[in-house]
Amino acid sequence: MIKLEHVTKIYPGTTSPAVDDLSFTVPTGEICTIVGPSGCGKTTTMKMVNRLIEPTDGEIYVLNERGEMQNVLEMDPIILRRNIGYVIQQIGLFPHRTILQNMGTVPKLLEWDNTRIRSRAEELLDMMNMPHEFLDRYPHELSGGQRQRIGVARAMASDPPVMLMDEPFGAIDPINRNLLQNEFLRLQQEIKKTILFVTHDIDEAIKMGDKIAILNANGQLEQYDSPAKILSEPANEFIEDFVGADRTLKQLNLIRVEEVMDKKPFLLQSTQSVEEALQVMDEEGQDYAYVVDSDRRLQGYVSRKDLKEKSGWIDEYTTTAATSLPITMNLRDALSEMLMVDYSTICVVDNRDRVRGTVNTAMVQEALMETHSSGKREEV
Amino acid sequence: MPQKEENKTAFIGFWQGLLDDWMAVLTRPNIETYIRLKERATSPKIVLNLALLGLVIGLYVLTIQPPAFIQTDSLLLDLGRLIFYTEADFFILSLILFVIAGLLGGTGGFVEHSYLLSLITAPLGLVIVAFLFVANKLGLTLAAIMNPLSSIGITTIFIVLFGLYAFLLLLFALEAAHEMESHQVIYTIGAVLGSWGILRVIAMFAAGEDNIITQESAFLAEEWARGTLQQAILGHLWMVAFSVFIAVVIGVVMGVLITMPPKRPSVSHLFFLIPLGVFFLIWAAPKGWLGMGIADPIMEISDTLDIGLTRAAKGFFGPLLSLLSAIVRKPAAVGMIGVILTVILYALLLAGESASELTLYIAGIILTIPSIALFGVFIGPFSIGAFNAVVALTLYAQLPILRNTYTGIKEVKPEIVEAGRGMGMTEFQLLRNVKIPIATPVIMAGVRVSVVMLVGIAAIASYIGNDTLGDYIFHGIQRVQPLRYYAGAITVAVFALSMDYFLGWLQNRLTPEGLKGRR
Ligand SMILES: Nc1ncnc2c1ncn2[C@@H]1O[C@H](COP(=O)(O)OP(=O)(O)O)[C@@H](O)[C@H]1O
Ligand SMILES: [Mg+2]
Repeated sequence: MIKLEHVTKIYPGTTSPAVDDLSFTVPTGEICTIVGPSGCGKTTTMKMVNRLIEPTDGEIYVLNERGEMQNVLEMDPIILRRNIGYVIQQIGLFPHRTILQNMGTVPKLLEWDNTRIRSRAEELLDMMNMPHEFLDRYPHELSGGQRQRIGVARAMASDPPVMLMDEPFGAIDPINRNLLQNEFLRLQQEIKKTILFVTHDIDEAIKMGDKIAILNANGQLEQYDSPAKILSEPANEFIEDFVGADRTLKQLNLIRVEEVMDKKPFLLQSTQSVEEALQVMDEEGQDYAYVVDSDRRLQGYVSRKDLKEKSGWIDEYTTTAATSLPITMNLRDALSEMLMVDYSTICVVDNRDRVRGTVNTAMVQEALMETHSSGKREEV
Repeated sequence: MPQKEENKTAFIGFWQGLLDDWMAVLTRPNIETYIRLKERATSPKIVLNLALLGLVIGLYVLTIQPPAFIQTDSLLLDLGRLIFYTEADFFILSLILFVIAGLLGGTGGFVEHSYLLSLITAPLGLVIVAFLFVANKLGLTLAAIMNPLSSIGITTIFIVLFGLYAFLLLLFALEAAHEMESHQVIYTIGAVLGSWGILRVIAMFAAGEDNIITQESAFLAEEWARGTLQQAILGHLWMVAFSVFIAVVIGVVMGVLITMPPKRPSVSHLFFLIPLGVFFLIWAAPKGWLGMGIADPIMEISDTLDIGLTRAAKGFFGPLLSLLSAIVRKPAAVGMIGVILTVILYALLLAGESASELTLYIAGIILTIPSIALFGVFIGPFSIGAFNAVVALTLYAQLPILRNTYTGIKEVKPEIVEAGRGMGMTEFQLLRNVKIPIATPVIMAGVRVSVVMLVGIAAIASYIGNDTLGDYIFHGIQRVQPLRYYAGAITVAVFALSMDYFLGWLQNRLTPEGLKGRR
């Protein structure tokens, strides 16, 4: 847990606060994204938590490993920082040190022995899906994306309960950024850190945050809420503008296909005869049907037209399906996939390619209407 | 008829082409020109270029300076012979260059190679002959022309420039002919000149010639046999090494201090009172300011140390021990310097970065003081001898180190420092584990500059009574013995170069692995 109470920062020589009377609480194990226009005080807010910047006023508390709330302003900043993971946009890997030494920075400061540091580093590389050979490389021998992963891994080295991340994926190309975001979200499922995550990109804030804190240009908190709430019930005009006119569409980001799909779709077995298939299709009133094998793995689809006046087994007449959607995909991505193919219903498959349901645009629309009217998507 | 016409045009075209090539070489001297000209290389053109040169040389030799070796009375035969010599000389030289270029990775053909060389040799040769012709007509000797103090000595400048220009053209030609890198070309020419030089020197000694080179080497050998040369080298080495060692410590500390944020005085700073007190005691006691009761024991310690060190000062470490004894002999001066240094360091600790500009400014000014003047100024407080020299040398040497430490640390990327600080490194850990290692190459570059500079200045230190290689220079000048001061100049130069080479190696060793591959 991270708790800010009436935190204000006025830089020396300035009169207007860079951060103005900020209060919010990040529950343990959640990611809170801080978002706002450039220069609104996001970095300042974050750096006050590990006291790279001293607040002018207010209190900041952090829950430590022993479950005690600690007032960071009363702690030794050096000790405090060693217990808070810290990732910055420019990464700041030490160029003269190997990846192992880089990742071992905090453990070394905490006086771990070398074998423990090494095994921890290997563990971290495993978490990041990177080979152990990287341990003896130097930062300049890695790509930008790899370096950023190492930057994140380095911050997690001593397994601190709290992490601060300042635009960690900001300097990475969009494709890799998406990849890193997904990887990090998956990782967070396991490590459950309490994270303050600064970004200037509202889409990233929505995607990464369990909670979002939106600041205005004067460093004041405009709204602190879950992404769904912020999208469905923007507190004021500023938030509405900041989130953008497409906020309804953005809400699709928060829903996964799994939640809206038809979980009992009409399917044919590839071992069925044509006659039998035609009969079932007549009964159900379907012109098309997806075909699966005995393991429910997707084989393709058949149309009534193709089967008409034929005989034998339907797998002879099965056409391969152009697309299927992974079950974890969000609705926004799913919708754009659906709009690109010309069949109305698409199969949803799990990671072993087994059909778990089907989805069509009508279902997406229905889901949207629902969130809009209730405004409380968490309860869906 | 059309056949003849065609021949005529071809003939004119040939000459025009040749002339074009000449003009191209002389007016657009660059690689592209040579690469273009390479395509047009043919053997007849080479022979013709040289024949032209040979002809002019022949005419010059025969009309102006009919030398003794011309025996036939047929002018044409003599001319032909001279043309042949010119051609032969050219091809032999060209072949040598070609073979060496080939050994060093050159890929060009002999015809192209020789053609490009002939395009330089012929026109430039003509210019030289014309020059000699005019000089001869004016009744000037080569010695007069080359003497920079004579009235027409100004020509020397043109001759040097002309030589440089010719050398540049040669570089281009070889680079174009063989598609080599510039450094390979330099090696090629160096190899030719070097092997010629070595052969020449061997011949010189074999023939027992008596000239400056043989005399100088005999002088050096004699000095070596007597052991005086080694002594001077050792004295020089220790003088430089000792001063640089102190300078590195002081320079790095000061350089680091002026990168830090300013500090308020705090209780822990009382620590500075310890060195301040000790140094003040060493300073004041021998002067009798604190009464004879304290002065005597300090002088006694100083004397004992001095005697011990002086007695032990033999062999390789001898000059170092002499230096140390010169230092312990002057406790008051040591104390005074210690007090001043302590005060400066504490002031820098408090002022930190805000003093950086002033400090670097003062450092820059001190560097501009001529070393002789500085030695002179220090004669007052420190009299003459090794102590004075060490103080002055240390003062000089720490300036480049100070400056490079400051820039090296300032150049460490802010995000790297921020990451370190954000992970909970203390300021000292940041300095020791991050900033200084990353700044090492830059700091070492400063040390390198210092050392090479000190090798030179240490020679001058002999002026205030030190046994360094400078003795050879000063005594040589006093006694008007050119061999002696050449010996000093040569050994100092070799010394400086080898120190620079050694420090380059050291710099590479000390640079952290991870910083090497980066550009
Ligand atoms: N060290 C500083 N001194 C004075 N003003 C600062 C300093 N750091 C940041 N600021 C100002 O504070 C405001 C907030 O900065 P910052 O937190 O870096 O913004 P953000 O990260 O949201 O872009 C900006 O207006 C910036 O100019
Ligand atoms: Mg920022």
